[in-house]
Amino acid sequence: MRVAAATALTALLVPVLALGAGTDLGLPAAVAAESDKVTFTVGLTNEADSFNPFGGIEAPAFEAWGLMYDQLISYDMKDMSPKPGLADSWETSDDGLTWTFDLHPGVMWSDGEPLTARDVASTFNRIADGGYEANTWGSYLTSVKTVEAVDDVTVKMLLKKPNAVLPLLPIPILPEHIWGDIDDKEVKTYPNEPSDSQPVVGSGAFRFVEGTAGGSIYRFEANPDYWKGAPHIDEVVFRVFKNDDSAAQALTKGEIDLVYNINALQVKALEGQDGITAHNGVSPGFSEIAFNVGATDTETGEPLGDGNPVLQDPAFRHALGYAVDLDQIVAKAFQGAAEPGDTIVPSTYSNWKWDPPADQAFTFDLDKAGQLLDEAGYSLGSDGRRTMPDGSPIGTLRLMARSESKSSLTTMQFFAEWLDQIGIDSQVTSVESGKLTGLIIDGEYDAFEWGWYVEPDPDSMLSYLTCGQLGNWNDAWWCDKEYDALYQEQNSALSVEDRYTPVKRMQEIFFEQSPYLVTVYESIGEAVRSDRWACLQEQPDPGGTWVVQYGITSYLQVRPIEDAGDCDGVTTALNAGAAAGSGDQATAAGASDDSGSMPLVLGGVVLAVLVIGAGVVLTRRRATASDRE
Amino acid sequence: MTTLATPPGGAAEGAGGGDGEPDDPGEDGDAAGSPSSAGGGRSGYGGYGRFVGGKVLGSLGSLLFVLVVNFFLFRVLPGDPARTLGRGRFRTEEQLNAFRSQYGLDQPLFTQFFTYLKNTAQGDLGVSLRYRVPVSDLILDRLGTTLLIVGTSTVLATTLGVYLGVVSAWNRRSLVDRATTSSTLTLYSMPEWWLGLIFIATVGVGMGFFPGVFPTGGLHSTDVAPGFVNGVLDTAWHLVLPVLTLTLAYLAEYALVMRSSLLDEMGEDYLVTARAKGLRDVDVRRRHAVRNAILPTTTLAAINIGFVVSGAITVEYVFSVPGLGLLAQEALSIPDYWVLQGTFLVASAAVIVANLATNLLYGALDPRVRT
Amino acid sequence: MSAPASSPETAGSDAAGPVLTARQIVHRRRLDGLGRGWREFRGNTPGVLGLVVLSVFALIAVFAPLLADPEGLKVTQAPGGVLEAPSSQFWLGTDENGRSVVTLLIFGSRISLFVGLLATTISIVIGTLVGLTSGFFEGWPARVLFRMTEWFLVVPFLPLALVLATVLGRSLWNISLVIGITSWSGTALLIRSQTLSIKERPYLERARALGAGRWHQMTRHVLPNVMPMVFANTTLMVAVAILAETTLSFLGLGDPTRVSWGSMLDGAFSVGAMTTRSWWYIIPPGVCVVFVVLSFTLIGQALEEIVNPRLRTRR
Repeated sequence: MRVAAATALTALLVPVLALGAGTDLGLPAAVAAESDKVTFTVGLTNEADSFNPFGGIEAPAFEAWGLMYDQLISYDMKDMSPKPGLADSWETSDDGLTWTFDLHPGVMWSDGEPLTARDVASTFNRIADGGYEANTWGSYLTSVKTVEAVDDVTVKMLLKKPNAVLPLLPIPILPEHIWGDIDDKEVKTYPNEPSDSQPVVGSGAFRFVEGTAGGSIYRFEANPDYWKGAPHIDEVVFRVFKNDDSAAQALTKGEIDLVYNINALQVKALEGQDGITAHNGVSPGFSEIAFNVGATDTETGEPLGDGNPVLQDPAFRHALGYAVDLDQIVAKAFQGAAEPGDTIVPSTYSNWKWDPPADQAFTFDLDKAGQLLDEAGYSLGSDGRRTMPDGSPIGTLRLMARSESKSSLTTMQFFAEWLDQIGIDSQVTSVESGKLTGLIIDGEYDAFEWGWYVEPDPDSMLSYLTCGQLGNWNDAWWCDKEYDALYQEQNSALSVEDRYTPVKRMQEIFFEQSPYLVTVYESIGEAVRSDRWACLQEQPDPGGTWVVQYGITSYLQVRPIEDAGDCDGVTTALNAGAAAGSGDQATAAGASDDSGSMPLVLGGVVLAVLVIGAGVVLTRRRATASDRE
Repeated sequence: MTTLATPPGGAAEGAGGGDGEPDDPGEDGDAAGSPSSAGGGRSGYGGYGRFVGGKVLGSLGSLLFVLVVNFFLFRVLPGDPARTLGRGRFRTEEQLNAFRSQYGLDQPLFTQFFTYLKNTAQGDLGVSLRYRVPVSDLILDRLGTTLLIVGTSTVLATTLGVYLGVVSAWNRRSLVDRATTSSTLTLYSMPEWWLGLIFIATVGVGMGFFPGVFPTGGLHSTDVAPGFVNGVLDTAWHLVLPVLTLTLAYLAEYALVMRSSLLDEMGEDYLVTARAKGLRDVDVRRRHAVRNAILPTTTLAAINIGFVVSGAITVEYVFSVPGLGLLAQEALSIPDYWVLQGTFLVASAAVIVANLATNLLYGALDPRVRT
Repeated sequence: MSAPASSPETAGSDAAGPVLTARQIVHRRRLDGLGRGWREFRGNTPGVLGLVVLSVFALIAVFAPLLADPEGLKVTQAPGGVLEAPSSQFWLGTDENGRSVVTLLIFGSRISLFVGLLATTISIVIGTLVGLTSGFFEGWPARVLFRMTEWFLVVPFLPLALVLATVLGRSLWNISLVIGITSWSGTALLIRSQTLSIKERPYLERARALGAGRWHQMTRHVLPNVMPMVFANTTLMVAVAILAETTLSFLGLGDPTRVSWGSMLDGAFSVGAMTTRSWWYIIPPGVCVVFVVLSFTLIGQALEEIVNPRLRTRR
C-alpha cells in the first residue's frame, strides 16, 4: 500500500499542481516581460458567461465588451443621456425614418485594419436581420429596415417607422473582416476569446488577452493607441469570486483593488477600514410587490390559475399601498442600502420619472388603508377579518418570496404582518425564481416580490406592462387600454421631449391601479482601495457606481493615486486633487509588495514539505522492500 | 458529505461486508470474508474471466441506468431556461421561442431524449445554455482545479489517516490513541465547510491574535510576478487552506476505519501465534496485521477516488474555488440541462469505474470474492 | 425498538396453548436482553457521555418556548440592532436582522433534531424495505432494485440532494424527504447482504421445508435477525442526516421561513460575518452541530458494540 500511496503522492500531486498552475499562468508568463505593470484588479461575484457579444447576458460580459469594443453612442456620466461615441454626431430626418451617423475618422482595429462604416453596418444588419444575433440587441434595432455604409465614415439607418429609443445604441461594433467569416451556425458557439496568446481583435481602450467564459480571471491590456487617449493604467484584471465575502476580504488584504456587488453590511464594515472607501451606488432598478390582477388565457380569454379575485379590484390594491412601511423595509430588508420607491421609473432617471404629488403619495398609515378598504366595501367581519363586499371571506393571500433573496423574504414577512394588522390573512412561502416564473405564467399566485432593472431609456420597462405582454413578461397580468395607447404614442414620438409627458402619465395610471407596489430603488455595494487609486467616477455622478456603468469612463480615468493630480478636471472623481505621493501611500504600496512576495516564499515551503514528505515515504518503502528481501 | 454518506455501503459492497455476521463470529474468521464465500471456492482463469465479464456488464448496466435517469431527472427541475436567461433581454414571445428552438428545447421530450442518447454516444455532451461553449470544454476546464484540490486532499487524507489509524490501534488506550480517536471523531462530526469558515476567519482574515497570512479564496493571485515557478508557488499557497480543510475532513474516516480493522486483525489467532513465535512487534505489525487490515481502507480510498470528480461543492463555495461541484450547482437555477447532465454523467462514471477497478482488483487478489 | 418489528400479534395463526408460553419466554428473554444491553451501555463511557449531551439538547428542543420567547424568531419583531456584539442583553449577540443568536440557537435545535430524526426514519424504512426485498426475492424485481440501489451509491450525494431539493421546493418535510431519499442505499446494501446470508442458514431451510410462506419467513426469521443491525445503523444515520440538513441549509435549500443551525450559518456567511468579524454568529451554530452529531456518533458506536460484541476489541 505504501507503494501505491507514495507513487500516488509524487505521480499525482506534483504534476497536477504544475498543470493547474501552468495552464492558467503560463500565458502571462509568456506575455509579460516587465513585472512593474500598473494593474487595476476588480473583484466580481459573477462570471462572464460569454465574450461573444451575441451570446452573453451577465454584467461582467457587458463590462468586457465595453473594454474591447467601441459603441456608436456613449452615455453621459451625470444622467446617462446620449453622448458622442464612435459617432461624432448624428442627425435624423424630419419623418424620423432615416438616421445618419458620422464616425470618428482614423480609428484602427488592434490588428492594424481601419475601422469603417462597413463594420458598423455589418454589425447592425446582422442584428436587424433577426435570428441568433438579435437575442441580446434586437430590442434596440426594432423597426430598422437596413443599415448602409455611405462611405468610410458615414452610416445611414433606414427605419420602417420612427423608433423613439434611438440614438441609444450600446451595441459593440465588431470587425467585419473577422466576424464576416463566422456564419449563422458558428456564431452560436463562437467563444471570441484570445487564442495562442493573440488578443481578440477590437478597437476599444483595452485588449482581451487572457481568460475564458466561466473562468475566474480575465485580463485586459491597455491599448496605447486608443483614439480617445490611452488609459492611465497598463492592465485591467477581473477576478471572479464565488461568494462576496471572499471578495471583500481579498480587498482588505490588498489582493484586489475594487470589489463590486457586496452587501450593505459589508460596505459598513469596510468603510471603517484604513485605505478603503466604500459606498452603496445607485443601481437603476426597482423592487416591487406584484399582484395577480387577473390571469387569463391569452388564446381563449378564459380565467387562468387560481388567483384571489379580491386582487382584481384596483381600489383594494391601491389601499394596500398605505399598509407598507417603506422605511422599515429599507432598514430591515435592505439594511439601509436602498431608497423608498413609488413608480416603475427609478429616481435616477429624473427626466422620465413621475413623482406622486404629496396628497397622493403612499404613506405608512394603517388607519387610512383600513378606511379605504371600508370605502371599497371590504369591511371588518365579527372575527376582525375583512370580508368581500358580499360578506364572504377573502381567504388567505399567498405571498411568494424568492428563495435566493433574503430581502425578498423579509419584505414579504413584513407585508404579511401589516396585512394581518388591517385584517387580511396571508401566508408567506418562498420559492425558487425559476419555479415562480412558472407559477406566474400559470396564474397560480396572489402576490410575489421581485424587481426589474431599468435602462436609461425606460421604453422596454414600460413595454413589459402592456397588454401585448400578457402571458409573457407582464407578470401582474395587468392590462389597461389607456396605458397601451400612451405607450404607442411615446414609442413613435419624433423627439425625446415629446415622450416625457406620455411616459409620466403612464406611471401615474400604473400607480393609481397599483398592479405593483413599488417598494424600493436598490443600490449596489462597492469598495475600493482609495489608498492606492484615484479618479474613478460614479455614474450617475453623484450617487452611482464606480464600475459596471454605461460605458467605460472609470477605466479610462482610473490611475494610481500618486498620478492623481486633478483627474483631468473631473473634480467629482475619487481622490481628485489628493496630495500626490504622500508618505502614507508610499508605505502602503511598500507593504503590499512585501506581502506579495511572502505568499510565494510560504507556498514554496508548503511545496517543499510535500515533496520531502513524499520522498521520505518513498525511501522508507525502499528500505522496507530491501528489508523484505 | 459525500464521504460520510459512502462508507457503509461502499465498504459493504467492495469488501463483502467487513462488519458482517453479528450472530456467528466463529463461522468465518476472516475480516474480509463474504457471506456466501462458503459456497464459492471456484478459482482459476476461467472463473476470473467470467467474474470480470459479469462485473463489466454490471457496470455498463449502471452506466446505462445513469444515462437514462440523468436526462429525465433534470427535466423535472422547475424553471424555463429561456425565461431565466431571457429576463430583461428577450422582449417578445418570438424571441423566447427562437431561443428554445435553437437549443432543441421545443422538441417533444422523447425526441430530445434520443438526440441526447445519440450525442452522448458520440462523445458530444452538448452546449451549455449559459456559457454557450461545449460542456466537455467546461468540464475539462474545471477538472484541473477539482483534481488539484479534492485529489490532493484525498491522497493526503488517505496517507495521514492510515498512519494515524495504525499508530492509535497499535498504542490502543494510550494517550496518543485517546487524543487521535477523539479528535478524529470530532472532525468526523463537523461540517467540513464550517471548519473552512473557521480557518478563513482565523488565519485567512486574521482575527484576534491570529495573523491573516493565508489567502481567503481563489486559486491564483493576479499580480504574481511572471514565471512558471512563481505561478506554481502562488497556487500552492492558495491551496493550503482548502486542502487542509478537506484533508482533515476526509482523514477522520480513514483513521477510524483503519484503526478498527487493525484492531480486528490484532485479535486474530495467527497474530498471537506470530508474536508467540518470537517475532518482533514491528515485524508483526508490518508484515501481517497492517497488510491485512488495510483492505477495507483501500476499498474506501478507491471509492473516494471515484468521488473526486464530483468535486466538493461546499468547500469550493466557501473558498471561492471554481470547481466541478460549483459548476453543477450553479447550473441548477437556470436549469442548464446539458451542464447538469454532463457533470452528473462524468461524476457517476468515475465512481462506477473506481468501483469496477476495486472489484476486479479484489477478484484478482482474493478468489473468495468472486461470487 | 426491535419489538414492533416482530410483534407477537403476527403469530396469531399458530396453535394457542404452547404459543403463549413461548411468547412469554420470548418476552422475558427480550427484557433480559434489554437489561443486559443497558448495563453494557452504561459501561461505555463515550456512549454515556453522548447520551448526556444529547439529552441536554433534546430538553432544550422540547422546552424551547419556555427558554426563549418564540416572538424573538420573527424578523419583524427583532429587538436588537444589526449584528450587535455579545452583551448582557444578548449573550451571543444578534444576527443581521437584530434577533438574538441565543434564541435562534435554541429554536434551531428543534429543526436540526426533527429533520435528523425524520430523515433517518425515511431513510431506514426505504433502506430496510429495499434491502430485504432485493435480498430475499430473486428474479428481475430484485435485480432492478439492486440497480437502483447502486445508482444512488454512484451518484454524488450532495449534487443529487441539491437537485431533489430544487425539484421538491423548500420545506421542513421536503428537506427530510430529500435526505431520506439520498441516503438509504448504504442501509439497503447492508440489509441485503445480511438477508442473503441469513437466507442460507439451516433453520430457515427447515422453516421452508415445513412450508413457511415468504411473508412468514421475512417477518419471523429474517427481520428480527436484521433489526439489531438496523437499530445501530439508525443512530449513526441520524448524525449523517443532521450534517446533511446543516449543509443543505447552508447552501440555501432549507425551509427559509424557519431557523436551523444550518440556515444561521447561511445567514452568517451571506451577510459577510467574516468581513464584519461577527464571530458570535459563525462559531456557536457550528459548535452545536458538532456536539449533537458527535453525541449521536458516540451513542451509535456504543450500540453497535452491544449488538455486535466482536467490535468490542476496537475500543
